[in-house]
Amino acid sequence: MRDKLDIEGTSRTPAIAFDFAGNHLKITGESYPEDVTEFYGLVFGALDAYLSKLGKGTCRFDFELIYLNSSSAKAVMMLMDKLDAAAKKGAAVDIYWYYDKEDDTMQELGGEFGEDLENAKFHLEKMPD
Amino acid sequence: MLASQLMDTRALLHKQGVIFAYSGYVTEPVLSGVGEALKQKLAIDDADTKTLRSVFAVFVEQMQNIIRYSAEKAQASLPPASEASALTEIRYGILTIGREDNDYVVCAGNLIERGDVDRLNTRLSRVRDMSKDELKALYKEQLRAAPEVGSKGAGLGFTEIARRASKPLEFDFVNLDNNRAFFALKATI
Repeated sequence: MRDKLDIEGTSRTPAIAFDFAGNHLKITGESYPEDVTEFYGLVFGALDAYLSKLGKGTCRFDFELIYLNSSSAKAVMMLMDKLDAAAKKGAAVDIYWYYDKEDDTMQELGGEFGEDLENAKFHLEKMPD
Repeated sequence: MLASQLMDTRALLHKQGVIFAYSGYVTEPVLSGVGEALKQKLAIDDADTKTLRSVFAVFVEQMQNIIRYSAEKAQASLPPASEASALTEIRYGILTIGREDNDYVVCAGNLIERGDVDRLNTRLSRVRDMSKDELKALYKEQLRAAPEVGSKGAGLGFTEIARRASKPLEFDFVNLDNNRAFFALKATI
């Protein structure tokens, strides 16, 4: 399994900083890719490989998204589902959703994702200034 | 003559409060470019963060609807030999962004099959008449559901537009011939 997955952000795709060795995964920026399946396919592949080996380990996942379009929202839900499934199998998973305090839409959206988590621990926090 | 013709077109748009207008074939790079200019204009207008993001979000969903669903398209007969996966189909639509009093409005129009009018009318009427809480519930339901048949996205676009809008959506259809109709959707933010 790879140690990390680093994808630089663009104006339409978020930066991916998955430090698998340090069990700290992060997605930052804006998400409205031209091809949502292609972009998130790569991310899902790497995450699945990591989570399948996680067992009872710990993992922290940070979402720091400014904006996501509706097709990306579906992809984010799938990320959350994968993390929740790993937590159900015994991993200690903490999910942090950081929102811009001036945009309550993203705060609300984070809350909606959080409500559906049954096993992973969810934290809704303001982005630091 | 030339200048006065174009100036008339411009004046017509101005009178309707239009700041941006695009009519033509839309591609993803067009969305990126117009989107960047829109963000800059909203920043210059000193729009608050939430308004800026909402106008932009509605613009993206409306543009992607044209790119994916407009029934008016130009198609290459064969994929170019060098790039078999290259885009061989582009779709036509019109999109405007403007001001009405203190609000921003994003309007989009494109051709659709007449057979799709009822389905669109039903879906849009439903989201137009929903409260914010009902829209939230529908959004979650659609996120969970498999994409609709014929949908190339998550099937969430109209719900996202309605959630971001500050007033009920407005929409309309005009029949063109036996097969096709023109569809227009307006969102106010």
